[in-house]
Amino acid sequence: MLTLVIVLPLLLGTAACAWAGARLGRRATAALAAAVAALALGALLTQAAPIWAGGAVAEAAQWVPSLGLNWQLRADALSLFFATLILAIGLLVITYASYYLGPTDPPGKFYATLMLFMAAMLGIVLADNLLLLVVFWELTSLASFLLVGYWSEQSPARRGARQALIVTGVGGVVLAAGALLLGEIGGTHQISALVAHGKAIQNHPLFPWALVMVLFGALTKSAQFPFHFWLPDAMAAPTPVSAYLHSATMVKAGLFLLLRLHPLFAGSALFETVALPVGLATLTLGAVVAIFKHDLKGLLAYSTISHLGLIMTMIGLGTVEGVVVAVLHIFNHALFKAALFMSAGIVDHETGSRDLRHVNGMMRYLPWSGLFAIIAAAAMAGIPFFNGFLSKELFFTATLTAPHPLVPILATVAAAASVAYSFRFIHDTFFNGEPGPLPNPHPHEPAWGMRAPVALLAFLCLLFGVMPWLAEPLITRVAAAAAGAPVPELHLALWHHPGLHVAMSAVALAGGGIAYALLMTNRFLHRLDIDRLFGRRAGRWLFAALVARMVRTAAWITRRTETGSLTMIVALVWVSALALVHFTVPWPQTASTPAAPQPTFSTLLVAFPLWLLVAFSAGALLFWHAHRTVAVLLTGVIGLVSAVAFALLSAPDLAMTQIAVEVVSTVMLFLALSFLPKRTPAIPFQRRLVHAAIAVAAGVTVGVLAWWLLVTPRESISWYFLAEALPGGGGRNVVNVILVDFRGYDTFGEITVLGVAALGAWALFFGTSRAQHCTRQTSQWLEPHPHLLRVATTVMLPAALLLSVYLFLRGHNQPGGGFIAGLVTAAALLLVSLAHGFAAANQWVRAQDGWRFARTVGAGIAIAAATGAAAWAFGRPFLTSAHGHPQLPLLGELPLASAALFDLGVYVTVVGATLLLLTPLAAARRNDRETKENGR
Amino acid sequence: MALELPNFALLAPQIVIALAALVLMTAGAFARERWRQWNYVVAQLAVIVATLLTVFTSGDPRVQTTFGGIFLVDWITLVVQLFIYLSVFAALIYGRFYLIERGLERAEYYALVLLSLLGMQILTVANHLLLFYLGLELMSLALYALVAFDRNHALRAEAGMKYFVLGALASGLILYGLSLIYGATATLSLPEISSVAALRPGDERVFGFGLAFLVAGIAFKFGAVPFHMWVADVYHGAPTPVTLLLASAPKLAAFALAFRLLVFGFFEYAHYWQPMLMVVAVASIVLGNLAAIAQKNLKRMLAYSGISHVGFILLGLAVGVVEGNHQLALNAYSATLFYAIVYAVMSLASFGLILLMARSGFEAEWLDDVKGLNQKSPWFAAMLLITMFSLAGVPFFVGFFAKLAVLQAVVAAGYLWVAVLAVVMSLIGAFYYLRVVKLAYFDEPTERQPLIASSETRVLLSGNALALALFGLMPQGLMSLAAYAMIASL
Repeated sequence: MLTLVIVLPLLLGTAACAWAGARLGRRATAALAAAVAALALGALLTQAAPIWAGGAVAEAAQWVPSLGLNWQLRADALSLFFATLILAIGLLVITYASYYLGPTDPPGKFYATLMLFMAAMLGIVLADNLLLLVVFWELTSLASFLLVGYWSEQSPARRGARQALIVTGVGGVVLAAGALLLGEIGGTHQISALVAHGKAIQNHPLFPWALVMVLFGALTKSAQFPFHFWLPDAMAAPTPVSAYLHSATMVKAGLFLLLRLHPLFAGSALFETVALPVGLATLTLGAVVAIFKHDLKGLLAYSTISHLGLIMTMIGLGTVEGVVVAVLHIFNHALFKAALFMSAGIVDHETGSRDLRHVNGMMRYLPWSGLFAIIAAAAMAGIPFFNGFLSKELFFTATLTAPHPLVPILATVAAAASVAYSFRFIHDTFFNGEPGPLPNPHPHEPAWGMRAPVALLAFLCLLFGVMPWLAEPLITRVAAAAAGAPVPELHLALWHHPGLHVAMSAVALAGGGIAYALLMTNRFLHRLDIDRLFGRRAGRWLFAALVARMVRTAAWITRRTETGSLTMIVALVWVSALALVHFTVPWPQTASTPAAPQPTFSTLLVAFPLWLLVAFSAGALLFWHAHRTVAVLLTGVIGLVSAVAFALLSAPDLAMTQIAVEVVSTVMLFLALSFLPKRTPAIPFQRRLVHAAIAVAAGVTVGVLAWWLLVTPRESISWYFLAEALPGGGGRNVVNVILVDFRGYDTFGEITVLGVAALGAWALFFGTSRAQHCTRQTSQWLEPHPHLLRVATTVMLPAALLLSVYLFLRGHNQPGGGFIAGLVTAAALLLVSLAHGFAAANQWVRAQDGWRFARTVGAGIAIAAATGAAAWAFGRPFLTSAHGHPQLPLLGELPLASAALFDLGVYVTVVGATLLLLTPLAAARRNDRETKENGR
Repeated sequence: MALELPNFALLAPQIVIALAALVLMTAGAFARERWRQWNYVVAQLAVIVATLLTVFTSGDPRVQTTFGGIFLVDWITLVVQLFIYLSVFAALIYGRFYLIERGLERAEYYALVLLSLLGMQILTVANHLLLFYLGLELMSLALYALVAFDRNHALRAEAGMKYFVLGALASGLILYGLSLIYGATATLSLPEISSVAALRPGDERVFGFGLAFLVAGIAFKFGAVPFHMWVADVYHGAPTPVTLLLASAPKLAAFALAFRLLVFGFFEYAHYWQPMLMVVAVASIVLGNLAAIAQKNLKRMLAYSGISHVGFILLGLAVGVVEGNHQLALNAYSATLFYAIVYAVMSLASFGLILLMARSGFEAEWLDDVKGLNQKSPWFAAMLLITMFSLAGVPFFVGFFAKLAVLQAVVAAGYLWVAVLAVVMSLIGAFYYLRVVKLAYFDEPTERQPLIASSETRVLLSGNALALALFGLMPQGLMSLAAYAMIASL
């Protein structure tokens, strides 16, 4: 049934109103909305009996159990009180609004949002799950945004809506964090369970955090100082919205939350030190500012702030008596403030103005409305026989028990101010001479439908003022439900025993009256502009400054980080990676570093000069790196030194491969560089220093890591290959056996990659139309084909080819193999090209712009693949090798392995790929020459 | 020696995608012009078939391995892959019209998308360091090419170049980290690494260093601060369909990568990686949200917003490390998975909206281009509202629950200040999302051309945004799925 109370307005209400708005007109939509609200009220009241008897009604269903967010509803007296208030005042507002809205205002939008808001508010007060409450809390912020911004074509409405949304939305999110934390502390998000463990939770070390966060949410929602500024700005809303949201319901949500969680917070020193001063400050500030507001609704807004502060002060006392007064005043305030807002709306509606300096003497035009307003204002001022008087008396009594004498003094000042602004509200609007220039010069009483809600509320103000004991049972039950403890017996009567509080009341009444009379002398008050006097309103100004500050900070950060410079990004990535490494992983203790193996004298003799050579080359690179030729040469030196190192460490294969690769790549780099400027553009010294620092940091890190890994003794896997190479692979050259047999798959993949890379480079060059273009501005600093070289290559080519054949054949048992042989062949052909010119060489090998080499690459890969696939014919997996040692006549034993065929594939691919990579360079060179010759 | 054939069936989805990519590549080189429309069909069919195969091949038993244990298929694979397929499927639909209009709809585009999909798939099934690297590279290389796909456009080419150079650097970092880890543990197999009992002190440090490089690389692939510098430029520079792809599926794949490596593989070394992730996550949430405010370009704004969302994902991964509390860890990881899925779906919708508004010669990538959307199409303005609210984490939209779940895990793990900071930053985040809504609803349009997007895009986008609202009302199903995947796999 509780679910129904929420779901009725949430689904049926919004859908029906949105549908009816465009089709049936304003009255019918309002009737629908009222019907839904009445239904919900009826559903709620069916549950009232057990609650009135002191029990509670609960409902639960799962929603998101893994988050602890469930559809848990619970209604006790406090919830029932608030829910009834929401629905009943909602009904009045619905009725009132159907007369208030103009013919051009879309009713569907208004009533659907109002229904949404009503459902969200009901959700807040009925939720028994803290997270569910937060969800509804945010929903009210959202609905209020839409309602305040209802006249979205007006800029103040948009600004007010946005500001209200941001302040209350922020509060809601902080509240969500607090709710999460409370749930974490208490082990459940169920409010009734949490409240039952109040004391245990208070002792938790994280409790102050949770408290502050929940308080923050409540203070923002209930417009407490210093977050009060959104409420006056939200007055741009249609008046029914103000009457509903900004006096009776939404702004009370924060107070409701504090009442709901009262047992959790009561007795906490922190709670009292925050809530009480905030409440007092809000109470006084709101009351004083309200006197000086010329806008009818602005005055009421500040008065609302002040009254909310009063209630907050009472809750902040942390006592059961405080709770009683708070509940009573919530009730009274909802009655008289809604009536006052509606009265203000009537005045605005009839005259078109809300300016107290112009709207005067309305009593003659609006006698009935004036009468109701006077009753409500008297209640607000706290005059005897009106309901506000009672709560004020009790409030004074409670302040006298407060720990600080300032509390009752400020309370009296605020009460005097509230008398003054109540006087002003009535006097300025309904009396005080003749009306000034008004947009609508002929005001008259509105329809009874608009006056009836005000009349009803005013009647209630009077009723509970004269017969206050009527409210006794209600207030007692609600306060007991909030406090979670029995409340002392309450005697609401017009006349209490005399005491200091009576004096305070008298002082406030007299003081307020005199203050207003003095201020109004010669209409001094009308000439006073408080906004100009105090500059921009502090709260709003602070808010705007905060937002501006945030945007500026964001812009600054963006400017600093979004340079788009690739160099800088790379530097940042390096620095961050190094920082991550060094700040999270401690450097090793010297004790835990394993001892380095001691080098022998002979290794030192060879290794030290080599090491020096590398160090020298690397150092020299730093100085000459801008000179590209030198840089390539020096890199070549380093490569050759590592070849020597490989040779020293008994890896002749690697050494040979390294030499061949080094030679071929250096030559190719030279060829490529000859198309580029000779020098790298210089960069500023300072930036080079930064780069140097990063490089040193990275280098040291990597060096230390390499050292660690090298000096740590660990098991090697090489014994396996050493032992298995001959029996398993049929070869004595372990490296070659690994390449073509044990790791044949890898090699097959590698040659494929090599071939594809070469094809890609070649295709990129010839495939794009830019091949011609990019060679235009080249410098011919490499003099082609000197005579001596030509002669030398003629001799060397056959020798080199022979060498490569030799290397290939011995490969399986001795240092050598297809890869090295391929590189040697390629190097020899490269030399020929250099000596005779690329054009001649290409013609000679019939390169056809590389097509031939492309086919060579394909053939190489095909040979390797076929060798591998041949194993299938013998029922073996791909690339299983076979080997034998047939005895041939004359030649003796011939070591044969299928791997050799595979190696042939490697050889062919390497040759093809290297030459293929050369063809673009050659072609570019030819184009270049032609361009030059044409130029001549 | 006869080899036993490994279980190929388990990898059927991957094989289908690989074959389709090859078919499309061949088609790009040889097929006739009039067959061009079939490229799209082939790609989508492949994705659908892979989805079906994934559903039918995995799930029972809960954890299966093949190829000597280097591939692993479990419920995390299943869930992550399903949403990756969904993202790619949506990305292909959203992007098609844009590509056709600009003459970019070629077979190579689809081949590259499928190749990157294959890379992502491999990341979700890998159980071996080398495979992770291969998957990552396959995904990244295809994405580099996609970013620069419109290569005659200077901005696109620059973005592709930057992405490639930086991505290669990150790959280098990862590879270096992996090699250090191999150096310390002498194995590349993830289960073997996690079962290495104790490393020698020196080796453990080496391992830590390797882990740091690895985390740096992962953070780069995620686009987390301070490795985020490429994100805005690449998101902005890439053609919008590619940005859409970049912002959705790879984030899920990166989640799989990070989760498998750090949680499955290196949980014993969490004392190294947890603080790293924490720093990166917090920095991402702070900087992502702040920098997003200052953006005038919608794609850049979404890029920074993505950085902040990634911060949440990393945060969830970081806080799962709780001494001896299995339940908290499980909650944190399922929350993270849920967040990653939700983020991917939200990304699809947000970039889908840009594609909806775009047309030839009008990219709709500036904030001002959103102005007055409500006047042009109230329906899609509502979709925009849903998407932005969900991104901002407004209650009743799924983004709210994603944030809530992660924050709950953060609070449960005792990192209160991080939770507070994350909340404050989300609030700042709400500021720029709501600005978009305000532009769409309250401002006058700068130009009055009607929307011309294809009907597939319209239907898909509506479904996409409505899903955000629907999952917001009923998040439990998706949440339970994430939780179940974690329970079944851990």
